[in-house]
Amino acid sequence: MAAPGETRGRRALAALADMARGSVRPPTPAALDSGLRALRSRIDAQHTGRRSRAAWRPILRWSAATSALVATAAIVAVIGVRSGQAPAPPAPPALTYRIEGGNVVDGGYLRESGRAGIKLLFAEGTEFILMPGTRSRLRGVDAAGARIAIEHGTASFQVTPSPVGDRRWQVDVGPFLVTVKGTVFTVSWDAATEKFELKLRHGRVTVNGPVTGGEIALRAGQRLLVDLPRGETVISEPKPEEGLEFAAGPAVAAAAPPRQGPAAASARPARFDNDRRWTSALAAGHLDHILTEAERAGLKATLERASSDDLLALADAARYRRRMELARDALLAARRRFPDSPRSLDAAFLLGRVEEASDRGLARAVEWYDEYLTRAPTGTYASEALGRKMTLTSKLQGASRARPVAEEYLRRFPGGTYAGPARAFSRAP
Amino acid sequence: MNHFRTVTATADEAMVSGSMTTRRTQISVKLAVAPQAGDASDAELARALVAGSPWAITETWRRFAPAVIMLATRALGSGSEADDLAQEVFQRVFAKANVLREPDRLRSFIFSFAIRRLRTELRSKRTRAWLSFHRPETLVDLAGAPADVEARDLLRRFYALLDRLAPRHRLVFVLRHLEAMTLEEVAAHMDLSLSTVKRALDHATEKLSLWIEADPGLAGFLDRGGWR
Repeated sequence: MAAPGETRGRRALAALADMARGSVRPPTPAALDSGLRALRSRIDAQHTGRRSRAAWRPILRWSAATSALVATAAIVAVIGVRSGQAPAPPAPPALTYRIEGGNVVDGGYLRESGRAGIKLLFAEGTEFILMPGTRSRLRGVDAAGARIAIEHGTASFQVTPSPVGDRRWQVDVGPFLVTVKGTVFTVSWDAATEKFELKLRHGRVTVNGPVTGGEIALRAGQRLLVDLPRGETVISEPKPEEGLEFAAGPAVAAAAPPRQGPAAASARPARFDNDRRWTSALAAGHLDHILTEAERAGLKATLERASSDDLLALADAARYRRRMELARDALLAARRRFPDSPRSLDAAFLLGRVEEASDRGLARAVEWYDEYLTRAPTGTYASEALGRKMTLTSKLQGASRARPVAEEYLRRFPGGTYAGPARAFSRAP
Repeated sequence: MNHFRTVTATADEAMVSGSMTTRRTQISVKLAVAPQAGDASDAELARALVAGSPWAITETWRRFAPAVIMLATRALGSGSEADDLAQEVFQRVFAKANVLREPDRLRSFIFSFAIRRLRTELRSKRTRAWLSFHRPETLVDLAGAPADVEARDLLRRFYALLDRLAPRHRLVFVLRHLEAMTLEEVAAHMDLSLSTVKRALDHATEKLSLWIEADPGLAGFLDRGGWR
C-alpha cells in the first residue's frame, strides 16, 4: 500500500493494516462447533416460524423507528387478514428488559457503570446478575428468547418460565454453551486458567463444549466442574451442609426428580433392549440412577447385554462419579462387543480419559489417544486427543519430547484449545 | 466424487410353488455409499445443499465459516459480532442455495452473501450512530489481538477511523488491504466496476492517511518502530 517516498500517514496506515490483518486468528474448533449449534437453532427456529434473528439490535433505543415498524406491521397484518389469509398463530411478545448498574455499548457489550456488577431484569421475571468485573455481551434478545455470552467472570441466572410460551435462554460461557430450561444457576469461566464451573440450584440445564464429550445434562443440586488444561470433567452433588452457595428452597423439591425408594427400584426389572434409556437418564442428569440400576441388574450382566449407547452412558455416569474402574470396564465392553461401531472409537478416546485419572495410567492413556488418532484422524475428539497426548508426553518424558507432538498439533489445529501450550512446547529447547 | 454406484447383487429367493425349490435371481440394487464429506468438491457440496442432504450443512459450515468469520472480524473489528454475522450469512446461504446456478462457484456465492451482509451491517451501524446522536464506541475484540495495552489501543483507534468511512469505501479497503484480495476480486464480490473500486480505494486510503497524520498517537506509530 505504501511505496517509498509516500507520506508518513500512508506508511503508518500500511503498518496498521498489517497489524489488524495479523490480529485475527481462525476460530477454534470449539468456537466453530458452538457456531454450528447456534446456526442449527436459527434454522430450526426459522422452520417453526419463529423469529430467530439473534443479532442484537438496540431496538429499545430506537423509539421512533420502533413505532414506525409497529405501525407498519399492524397495517400489514390488517391487509393480510382482510385479504382472507389465515392469521398466523400468535407469537409470544418480544422480551423487554432493563439494565441496572451498566449499559449496552456497541456490539452488545455490557459496560459496568459502577462496581456492583450489572443486573438484567426481564419483564417476565427472569434475572441475569453479572458479578463485578465480569466481561459479557448481550448477543440477542427477541421474541424467541435471549442469548448472552460470558467471556470472563461469574454470573447468576434465575430463569422464570414465560406465561405466554416457550422462550429459549442460552448462555455462552467461554467455549461452552449452556441451554437453560427454567432454572436458577451460577456459572463462571476463568479465561486465564480455562476452568468452567456451573452450580445448578434448581431446574435443568444442558452444557455443550470441549471435554464434556457431548451434551451434559445437569439436574437440581449438581455442580459441574470442567478443567480444560487437565481435561477433567466432574459432576458432584454437594451435601446440603456443603452448600452450593445458596439454600435449596421449596422450588428445589418441586423441580427435583422423584427419588425412587428401594422397593420401587426393585419392582422394575432391568432391561437391555437397546432403547437408549440410560442415554436419556444421562441427558436428564440421573447419574446415580444409572449406576444403581446397573448394579441391581448385576454389573457383569450389564456389561454383556447392554447396548453400546447404554454402555457409553454407563461409562459417562461412572466417570462423572469418579468410579473409574466401572467406567473402564464399560468402555472396554463397548469396544469388545461393538468393535465396528463409531461408539467404539469414542470409547477409545474416553478410555484415555479414564486412564489419565490415575498417575500410573498416563502411559496407557497416551496409547489410547494414539489408538483413537490412528483410527479416527479427523474424528470428533481428534484435536482433544492430540492435545492430551502432547500434555501427557510432556509429563512423562519432558517438554522436548512433547515438541514434535506440539508441532503436529499446531499444524493440524492452529486455533485449537491446546494451541497456546503447543506454541510453548514448540519453542522448548 | 460419485456418491452412488450401482452394483449387481445376487439374492436367494425362496419359492413356494408346488414343490419347495430355491431359485437364484439376479437383481440390480442401487447401493448408496455415504459420502466422505471432507472429500466432496465444492460443486458436489453445493448440489448436496440443494438436495437437502443433512451432512451438507455441517460440511459447508466447517469448510467456509472460518474464512467468513475472519473476514467479518477484520471488517468489523469484533470477533463476537463476526460470529453472529456468519450465522446469519450461512442461514441465508442455506435458504437460497437453490438459486445457485453454478455449483462450482459455491465459495464465491458464500463470500458474496457475506460481503453484502457486511455492507448492510456497516450501514446499520452508521444509521444507529446517526439516530443515537453519538458515534458508536468501537470495542475491538479480535481473537488474536496483541496482549499489550498500547497495541490494543492502536487497533481500537484504527477501527474508529474505519468507522468514519462510508461503508462501501471501508469494505473496499478491508477487502483489498486486510483480506489481500485483488482489485478484480473486490470488484466481482462487491458487484462494482473496476474503476469504481479503484476510486473507492484511493478515496479510503487518502482519507485514512490524512486522519492518521492528524492523530499524533497513530502517526507516531511508525516512529516507535511499529507493532511487534
